[in-house]
Amino acid sequence: MIPDEYLQTFVVECSELLEQMEQALLIVEQAAEDPEIINAIFRAAHTIKGSAGMFGIEPIVEFTHAAESVLDRVRSGGIAMDAVLAALFIEVHDHLQAMISRVAEGNQPFPEIDERSKILIAQLEAYLGEAKTEQPEQSAPAVHQPKLEREPGDTVAGTDLWHISLRFGPEVFRNGMDPFSFVRCLGKLGAIVELVTIIDAIPAAADMDPETCYLGFEISFSSDAGKADIDAVFNFVRSDCLIRILPPHSKIGEYQRLIQELPEQEMRLGEILVSCGTLTAEELNTMLRLQAQHGGEPQRPIGEVLVEQHLVSPPVVEAALEKQQQVKDNKRNEANLIRVDADKLDGLINLVGELIIAGAGTNLIARRAGMADLIESTATLSRLVEEVRDSALALRMVPIGATFNRFSRVVRDISKELGKDIDLVISGADTELDKTVVEKIGDPLTHLVRNSMDHGIEAADLRIARGKPAKGTLKLNAYHDAGSIVIEVSDDGGGLNKDKILAKAIERGLVSDGTGLSDKDIYNLIFEPGFSTADAVSNLSGRGVGMDVVRRNIQALRGSVDLDSVPERGSTIRIRLPLTLAIIDGFMVGVGNAAYVVPLDMVVECVELQAWVDSSDGHYLNLRGEVLPYRRLREHFGIDGEAVARENVVVVRYGERKAGLVVDKLLGEFQTVIKPLGKLFRGEKSLGGFTILGSGEVALIVDVPGLMAQVEHEKLIEQTAVAAAR
Amino acid sequence: MVNRRTKNQQNNRIAIEGELTIYTVLELKDKLLAGLSDNSELELDLSEVGEFDGAGLQLLVMVKQQATTLGKALRFTGHSSVVLDLIDLSGLAGFFGDPLLIVRPSTQ
Amino acid sequence: MAKTILFVEDSASVRQVMNSTLTREGYQVILASDGQDAMGKLDGSKIHLIISDVNMPNMDGISFVKQVKQLPAYKFTPIIMLTTENQAEKMNEGKAAGVKAWIVKPFQPPQLLAAISQLIQA
Repeated sequence: MIPDEYLQTFVVECSELLEQMEQALLIVEQAAEDPEIINAIFRAAHTIKGSAGMFGIEPIVEFTHAAESVLDRVRSGGIAMDAVLAALFIEVHDHLQAMISRVAEGNQPFPEIDERSKILIAQLEAYLGEAKTEQPEQSAPAVHQPKLEREPGDTVAGTDLWHISLRFGPEVFRNGMDPFSFVRCLGKLGAIVELVTIIDAIPAAADMDPETCYLGFEISFSSDAGKADIDAVFNFVRSDCLIRILPPHSKIGEYQRLIQELPEQEMRLGEILVSCGTLTAEELNTMLRLQAQHGGEPQRPIGEVLVEQHLVSPPVVEAALEKQQQVKDNKRNEANLIRVDADKLDGLINLVGELIIAGAGTNLIARRAGMADLIESTATLSRLVEEVRDSALALRMVPIGATFNRFSRVVRDISKELGKDIDLVISGADTELDKTVVEKIGDPLTHLVRNSMDHGIEAADLRIARGKPAKGTLKLNAYHDAGSIVIEVSDDGGGLNKDKILAKAIERGLVSDGTGLSDKDIYNLIFEPGFSTADAVSNLSGRGVGMDVVRRNIQALRGSVDLDSVPERGSTIRIRLPLTLAIIDGFMVGVGNAAYVVPLDMVVECVELQAWVDSSDGHYLNLRGEVLPYRRLREHFGIDGEAVARENVVVVRYGERKAGLVVDKLLGEFQTVIKPLGKLFRGEKSLGGFTILGSGEVALIVDVPGLMAQVEHEKLIEQTAVAAAR
Repeated sequence: MVNRRTKNQQNNRIAIEGELTIYTVLELKDKLLAGLSDNSELELDLSEVGEFDGAGLQLLVMVKQQATTLGKALRFTGHSSVVLDLIDLSGLAGFFGDPLLIVRPSTQ
Repeated sequence: MAKTILFVEDSASVRQVMNSTLTREGYQVILASDGQDAMGKLDGSKIHLIISDVNMPNMDGISFVKQVKQLPAYKFTPIIMLTTENQAEKMNEGKAAGVKAWIVKPFQPPQLLAAISQLIQA
């Protein structure tokens, strides 16, 4: 019913809105406090939803609704727009773009896009958490169909006409409404057989406010429409008007109650009902006689009234009771806990950080002065400060169990959705990690779990054919390992298809060919940006969906992710995260006059460069037969001055890879409080932050994965250039 | 937009032009009551009423009742189509008791 | 005499569709893309119904309604606001400003027409 040209307007409009949304998303992380940025994102989603709804494009409505709900929470401050959420919204944006381009092409059904929508909607809804309640579809209050069955012995009165009684509230005119409009609208649902305008309430001239509404109607109405439809006519005046709608042939008691409820005299009303043709004169007489005998009905208990009026339903009551019980249980567990504002903890950690810096300064002075007593005393002090640091950090540590437990629900729901029988096995739930990390790891984990269940674990018949139990198993495990926490998501599914991944990666231009790549290298290609696109979902054995986003999110936490897979036996994804984000043990190096800190847990060994032999192309070093890529920090950071005669190499390891950093001097271990870099350094991927030395000088913290990624990227460009030159 | 004017061509006749609606009833109330107290007989010309709503209707009801209370003769004349339409819908023609020429559009 | 509706909405496609739908129903339609635009189009001539979105750039629907209610020529003009179910707070603000009629977005033209017919007839 909507012409194509309007659809074109819709597509153009959506493209503009999506562009605005993208721009806002790109700056939202830096400007998370700016309500206008969030508003811009919200408005884009909101407008697209509204327009799509009018065009009846349900998939887009459903999808934008989820996005809008989360954004609304962000607006109201209930949810923070952090890096993870911003990344999710980038995906939301991309997906919307895909949906709209489908509309532009004119194909309305989107089966594979639906699949993607579901995944993203679930991720969005995870943010809404338990507070999400079922929203009624319509704004109008639910109207229950009248019960038409008759109780035995109850006299049926009236004709085959509806009877509608209306008394309008005083503000109706001032609200811009005219009672007669509703009557005219009612006329579209059927025939108004008789209408009596009730003018009894109009006061005498002196007391009458002409802008106040005093009108009422008694209407007998012939219509095949349902009660809900008739009732809906009065939606806009419902809140301040008396509205009574009696279906044809209502029980005599109902007419009786109607008469009691209306403000006018009973006799007058009775006459009106008769004159309307709703009741016969004889019925009215019977009623008035009954009325006299009973002298009005006794009061009924409120519960009965509530049930009768369908104001509460049993499931609602049960849910409320359950909730109360949960609250009680939690209270019991919390009896020996103290709740502390996270901000206060952050303040403490900051102070401890300053203390460490001050301590290091004192240490330096003591050593320079050469006072043995003082050196000894500062050593004790340092040890104590270290303990304080550990205790302070421990305050922020929470077990990962609560996060893991959330997944039993997720796994159950997705199993149902996919029609697969899958068990969740949780281990290491007691493993503790920093609260901030816990908060941020939930979404990447959800993504990985969904992927494993969706694409990893095979259908039951295939599992049986492969000699595995029909029921799939998904494992979540966590443990501490060398100053980091490792979280594993493993499944006993079909594993990844190496050949397909390699073919895809070559097609996408991520690698030139498979030579020199181990199986593991190939598997990990799925984390490369540009590898996962929508059409990779269906034809690869899965895992294509936004894995680069997962990795990006994890790297934002100074973590790493890698993947092991055995064909037909399953896959394991390992996330390695720092225990805390605030303080690291660093290894300080000097280049020229500048000092740099490399996270100590990444340092494998330090050697003199002399002992090395440059390999032929100048990009690799030979370390006892092992080929390592290397980088001169002097060149990388563009530091002036002569290179020193004897350079040193710090061999670093991140994840499964090793590399060499060439520096002038090795300055030793150093405890470092990470301070974030300003916006100016946003683009600098090889720096993770800075720290203030005891001497007051600043040292930059090297982000090893970021640096190496940059090195590899440059290498790739060079290779491509060389290949092109041939 | 409220191009309503009341004309007192003769003392005992008031013509309402334009809107007889929520936008004008406050003003009109005083006008009509004044006209009623000044005259023992009053004619209200409704031929130029372009818009008429429930607020206008209840004002006419009030004025009519006031006339009865004061024992004065009040006639509504020349009902324009919007006025006829609403009085017909309200079922109050009998209450007002004025002779009406009801012309129903044949297209309905 | 055709009744006039002022339709305030920032989505061009929604404006386009509703303009053609309302015109077909016999209404005179004035379109505005946000509250500010709409205020500029209120020149004192009669408007029988205002339909306005809540979320709009420049001037949102709530501020617009508050301003309209200050204008003597429009203080009794009925207003239908287009909202979403997430906006309880905005709705309360709007109700305080005198808006009684709400339509939940997304809607399709017949739903809005049904709501309009409760308030005015073409």
